[in-house]
Amino acid sequence: CHTSGMPTPNGKEYAQKIPREELTHLILKLLQAWKEPLSHFNQHIEHHQELPDDSLSKAKQISNMVHELKTGVEKMQSMGIISNSLHGMESSEAASLSNSNEANMMSDSDFIHCFRRDSNKVQSYLKILKCRIMPENSC
Amino acid sequence: GQSYPGKPKIIRCRSLEKETFSCWWKPGSDGGLPTNYTLFYSKDSEEKIYQCPDYQTSGPNSCYFDKNHTNPWTTYNITVMATNEIGSNSSDPQYVDVTYIVQPDTPVNLSLETKPSAGVMYLWAKWSPPPLADASSNSHVYHYELRLKTEEKEEWETIPVGVQTQYKVIRLQAGMKYIVQVRCKLDLGEWSEWSSERYIQIPSGQSPPEKPTITKCRSPEKETFTCWWKPGSNGGHRTNYTLLYSKEGEEQVYECPDYRTAGPNSCYFDKKHTSFWTIYNITVKATNEMGSSISDPHYVDVTYIVQPDPPVNVTLELKKPINRKPYLVLTWSPPPLADVRSGWLTLEYELRLKPEEGEEWETIFVGQQTQYKMFSLNPGKKYIVQIHCKPDHHGSWSEWSSEKYIQIPTDFRVKDMIVWIIVGVLSSLICLIMSWTMVLKGYRMIAFILPPVPGPKIKGIDTHLLETGKSEELLSALGCHGFPPTSDCEELLIEYLEVEDSEDQQLMPSHQSGHLSKNAKMTPKETDSDSGRGSCDSPSLLSEKCRESCTLPSTLQTQDVRDAQENKEGKRRWETQCIVSEQKTLPSNSESTKSSTWPAAQLPNNQPPMFAYHSTVDAHKITLNNTNTNVAPFLLGNEEKHQSQYPITETVHDHMEKQREMENLHSKTAQTTVQVMQNRPNDKSPFLNPTLMDYVEVHKVRQDAQPAVLLKHKENSGKTEKYTVPGTSKEYTKVSTVMDHNILVLMPDSRIQHTSVSQEPAKETSQDLQQGQAEKNVSYYLTAPSECKRETSGSDYMDPSSFMPSFK
Repeated sequence: CHTSGMPTPNGKEYAQKIPREELTHLILKLLQAWKEPLSHFNQHIEHHQELPDDSLSKAKQISNMVHELKTGVEKMQSMGIISNSLHGMESSEAASLSNSNEANMMSDSDFIHCFRRDSNKVQSYLKILKCRIMPENSC
Repeated sequence: GQSYPGKPKIIRCRSLEKETFSCWWKPGSDGGLPTNYTLFYSKDSEEKIYQCPDYQTSGPNSCYFDKNHTNPWTTYNITVMATNEIGSNSSDPQYVDVTYIVQPDTPVNLSLETKPSAGVMYLWAKWSPPPLADASSNSHVYHYELRLKTEEKEEWETIPVGVQTQYKVIRLQAGMKYIVQVRCKLDLGEWSEWSSERYIQIPSGQSPPEKPTITKCRSPEKETFTCWWKPGSNGGHRTNYTLLYSKEGEEQVYECPDYRTAGPNSCYFDKKHTSFWTIYNITVKATNEMGSSISDPHYVDVTYIVQPDPPVNVTLELKKPINRKPYLVLTWSPPPLADVRSGWLTLEYELRLKPEEGEEWETIFVGQQTQYKMFSLNPGKKYIVQIHCKPDHHGSWSEWSSEKYIQIPTDFRVKDMIVWIIVGVLSSLICLIMSWTMVLKGYRMIAFILPPVPGPKIKGIDTHLLETGKSEELLSALGCHGFPPTSDCEELLIEYLEVEDSEDQQLMPSHQSGHLSKNAKMTPKETDSDSGRGSCDSPSLLSEKCRESCTLPSTLQTQDVRDAQENKEGKRRWETQCIVSEQKTLPSNSESTKSSTWPAAQLPNNQPPMFAYHSTVDAHKITLNNTNTNVAPFLLGNEEKHQSQYPITETVHDHMEKQREMENLHSKTAQTTVQVMQNRPNDKSPFLNPTLMDYVEVHKVRQDAQPAVLLKHKENSGKTEKYTVPGTSKEYTKVSTVMDHNILVLMPDSRIQHTSVSQEPAKETSQDLQQGQAEKNVSYYLTAPSECKRETSGSDYMDPSSFMPSFK
């Protein structure tokens, strides 16, 4: 996976230890790293006739969701919901990751596998964040 | 006694190593005296005879030839002589070539061992050659042979070994005990004896283990995980298992940190050793004495193998809000190990329930909440409920929690019960009423619901009808206010008389009696030969009209006439018009079908016109019962014979009168009819049921000056049969019968005594009719009313003129 290089906590304790800002930053980095590859992928599979139409639309839907999610987290970050201090950490490495060729070189199944994993990561981190910020809400 | 010794016998000569040899003999009988044995031999073909050099070494009765005396490749000719005092005896010569008599001793020191080799156990046997008295350097080359068998088996397996003093047996059954022996021989000599037996136990299961398989890996709380494997089939006690793994991206191979925590054949990875979002490559190696084998690799990412424990603390609470149905609230807690609070693991729940006796579960997805409200459960029933959970993404469902029983309290609402009680009471009341009604008015209801089937139109009068005598009723029921019919009833031309020229016509001039009942309604028009036509159908009858208007069937009358007519040729038919009255069918009585009977207007009709009289026979029955119409007049003529007529009249009469009428009628006299007629004094027209009767315009008849046609009341002095049809200026009488073809018997007024009329030649017919009618039924209805109406028009009426000629 092209995001394998990113140091991410791979256990609950590690994730809980990280301060919120850093976690948010990680999330955003991940989301950012997938922006380009997803659009690439969408373009790529449009030429696949054997895929049912659902897949194409689903893929599009997913990339939209990723984008929206990223926007949302950024918004929250800028509004100070996530952290007490206003941060505008925007790292460039994620962008570079995103644009790297590595993602384009992956086979389709690898691509999906990596994306699945990273989206799971993002989801878990977000949940941890949520329960940290607002513990009363079904946590 | 004593004799010379028996002949000795050389039993064998053996050489152990080809350098010495011995011979043994067996003595014969010794003859009772001490015997001396001497062995003589010669070599090859030499003459010289030698004696045995050594009798001792090889034991008694033996001769030992040592090295010096042994020449291989030489044939010895040996004989033994037995000598005693008396004599001697010599054995047969034995030719011995040492080369061929060599038999070594058995081999010694047989040792056995089992050894694994290349995954197979084999038996390794070792032995030593037989010892020699003198360990000479002669390297004797022995040939060996091995034999073995398992204890159970009978047969030996013999294996030629060659010159080796060891051998490996490979085809062995594991776990069996074998017996092994070995023997040897020298060159061309003979085999030695088998060595003593040696036993060896082949150990069982001695092969490398089969490949184990990794069955599953699970994480209960997304923090640790466990993997289980299944040993291969050959895993005996001594198989050792080791689990090895490596992580994605690393070369390093680790061994399972914990084999115990999760039980046998498992490996538990604790928190420290669990990494998420990394793929583990896991294998299990099984080792035993024979070797080892490795399972297929199993790749696992812990994120996706989460299967939580079932939820706990399942509790039920019954909530009873005001003004609403009570409901149950089910609450539970996530499994203890799952860390839901930090958001690391989010669980979704699903519950299922079924009634205790039910077969199928109803599964309800609840989501992430830990409570559920149940509204739609049946009170009083017992339910079983279970819950399970799974991570909200990737992962599998936990086991179902233990069964929880719910007993729904029976909600005994007073309101509901009251409603049910009321419903029950009401329905029972209704049932009572209905049954009572049925009992009381069973027949009528049945008749109402199932109207009687009209029987065939039978000519004749049904006596029964007459008997029942309910003409009054009938008449009233018919709606006519009695005889004579009112104006609207005039047209009761229910039946039309089918008149023929033939003899049939029996018009009985009822003149005598003054029956002017010429009410046969003859519609000239309808002289169609279709005698069977019901008045309903015949256009002339205008049945519809009549039918509607009048209800009273003047059955009697018509029948009467009909009878007369019909007999003859049956052409005349009385037709009961369509239902004149409601059915009071007849069956036997009370009902009166109002059939309008045409008066037996058998008009002697020279004309062809036939008026069909349709049978109103049945009508009689009915009419008898309840018509008030006096059909009696009709019966005038025919009465006497036609029993059936009677009934007709009867029907016309009132109920009470009916009886009388019937009798009267039955009297078979015209009189009876008359009587009948009379019976209905009260009625308007005695017998003219407007609907039923045919009315003949009397005046017409009169005009014709037919004496016979006494219409009107000529005859009836005293009886006026004119039914005073209200509104009609004409007088009409019904023709009761036609006699002699030219006598028109008119029906008298009710009071009229018609005697003559009743003569009716066609007696029998009446009978028939009667009978016929008897059974039939009342279903003939005379559309008296309609007829009546019709009558207003002159055309409907029998035009006496038409038959006038016939009168004479």
